[in-house]
Amino acid sequence: MKCLILGLGNPLLRDDSVGLRVVQELQRKLAPRPEVEISEDYWGGLRLMERMVGFDRVIVVDAMRSGGAPGTVRRLTPDSVPTQRSASAHDVNLPTALRLGRMAGAKLPPDERIVLVGVEAGDVETFSEELTAEVQTAIPQAVRLVLAELGAEPEETA
Amino acid sequence: MQRVSIDPITRLEGHGKIDIFLNDDGGVANAYVQVPELRGFERFCLGRPAEDMPNITDRICGVCPEAHHMASTKALDALFHVDPPPTAKVLRELFYSIFYATDHTTHFYALGGPDFVMGPDAPPLERNILGVVKKVGMEVAGAVLKMRRDGHHLIKMMGGRPVHPNWGLPGGVSRGITEEQREEIERLGLDAIEFGKFTIKLFSDLVLGNPVYVDLIKNEAYVHRTYNMGTVDENNHVNFYDGMIRVVGPDGKEHAKYHARDYMQYVAEHVEPWTYLKFPFLKKIGWKGFEDGVDSGIYKATPLSRLNAADGMATPLAQAEYERMYDVLGGKPVNHTLATHWARIIELLYAAEHWVELSRNPLVTGEEFRVLPTETPTEGVGSVEAPRGTLTHHYWTDERGILTKVNLIVGTTNNNAAINLSVRDAAKGLITKGKTITEGLLNTIEMAYRAYDPCMACATHTLPGQMPLEVVLRSPQGEVVGKLSRGF
Repeated sequence: MKCLILGLGNPLLRDDSVGLRVVQELQRKLAPRPEVEISEDYWGGLRLMERMVGFDRVIVVDAMRSGGAPGTVRRLTPDSVPTQRSASAHDVNLPTALRLGRMAGAKLPPDERIVLVGVEAGDVETFSEELTAEVQTAIPQAVRLVLAELGAEPEETA
Repeated sequence: MQRVSIDPITRLEGHGKIDIFLNDDGGVANAYVQVPELRGFERFCLGRPAEDMPNITDRICGVCPEAHHMASTKALDALFHVDPPPTAKVLRELFYSIFYATDHTTHFYALGGPDFVMGPDAPPLERNILGVVKKVGMEVAGAVLKMRRDGHHLIKMMGGRPVHPNWGLPGGVSRGITEEQREEIERLGLDAIEFGKFTIKLFSDLVLGNPVYVDLIKNEAYVHRTYNMGTVDENNHVNFYDGMIRVVGPDGKEHAKYHARDYMQYVAEHVEPWTYLKFPFLKKIGWKGFEDGVDSGIYKATPLSRLNAADGMATPLAQAEYERMYDVLGGKPVNHTLATHWARIIELLYAAEHWVELSRNPLVTGEEFRVLPTETPTEGVGSVEAPRGTLTHHYWTDERGILTKVNLIVGTTNNNAAINLSVRDAAKGLITKGKTITEGLLNTIEMAYRAYDPCMACATHTLPGQMPLEVVLRSPQGEVVGKLSRGF
């Protein structure tokens, strides 16, 4: 089963970069596996859908603003996503993009094999390469959640 | 005074909204579009080597990073006093044409188009790209995705990375292309021309073929007689990558034509107490408040403005469509905000045609694509037409090339005053005493704003796709007397 782990975010916009930091940490923690690709990207919407083409399973890690305490880590599905990049005013949201892709015959993972790991951001309005303290300390938990998702794969445990 | 609040941005983040103030008679007194501003950009840049800027500034905008990359690279040319060799210029413009065709495709099909194709009164669940596909046919989905896929593939091939290129250098670019790559670029460019023609036909059949939509475009509530800004080549044709900045008045007369480095002589910025975002205006005309007309310094820099500021398009198919647009809408300049969508797809066709032209330029596979700078850096301005308006980067450095000052005027900022005008007047035309405020009505007001495809603060990348709307009706005492909202 081909799996994509994708960190989304802007590396220069404070907590918005947390998705990138989490996958960078995963890259260090996870021994290379031919069936798992770890990558970074910037955009949601159509581009995120296009990035998923050809994979059987996708785990997206992103900053979110849902009104919770900064640093809170949540597991989400494509249709319940308050993350930063799965939607854009210059694009379409992720469920719409996925439906469009499937209409056009793109090989996309089914919705139940798309998981979003959201980390509640504190500050996404300041240019900085530093995370806020609360979000920084949430990285290990987000990493564990992604690893658990990977471990939950029947192919992985077999 | 009553207050109607439209929050088109996001309830998740709670910033950016449209406030419409009603008068005691139930009509619209005024409207303000408020947007957030990201903090600390200049501070972030200062003290860094100027060569880093193409790779920093392309991350301040989640929508048109390639435009920032290009404006920044051109600013470095000026800063280091170096003229890129002809091959570098052809490559950069080719890259930029590919980016344009791709970007305009997304806006038209995902954002602007659905309003027209589905109609402003269609339920939000249908007023999106899926609704367009359902109405027009399945082939649209494949065609849009192919256009985007091809564009992103070539941007990555030429620029080195998807989305954020690591390509532009003072004096040129970091790599050229092979003959094999050139052939692929040309082949996909020919497909892009077909896609552009298909898009124009779709617009003609569904929008221009429907008198209701033509009336909507021509509706006086969407007409603003402002100045228009755009970059033109030596023949006064639209150019995205390079040329002179030309400003044409609402009467069609040329107001100014200048080199981007002289922008501070022509453009000044007005400040309002209710927003952080500045309002650029034409210095020689002056700021006269939120009013249009030849005596007001407000200008627009949009796809439609570029067409108005030019004498034509440099490619044949786009020129034919350019002429048709002015015929249908009553001659130049066209001041109808909603015609911006039409102008955008004319630009899409031009970008595709120019892409093919440039791919056939014998210089494009040349091996001399960079000149090393040898002079001491001082100060430099670079400018391109971003899809959302004229984009200017201005850098100052010390003699080592370390940044000491940075100023950017981004596409949407140019249009800040015009966006406010458009929203106010659309609201004035549609909200009157005793009229029920429906979702269709709000969407019709929102369309005025959406035509500009505004990049909120040019970095606020976090907006939901189907804009949530919340309308709060308040009594003159500020009490909530009614509420209308839609989710996303």
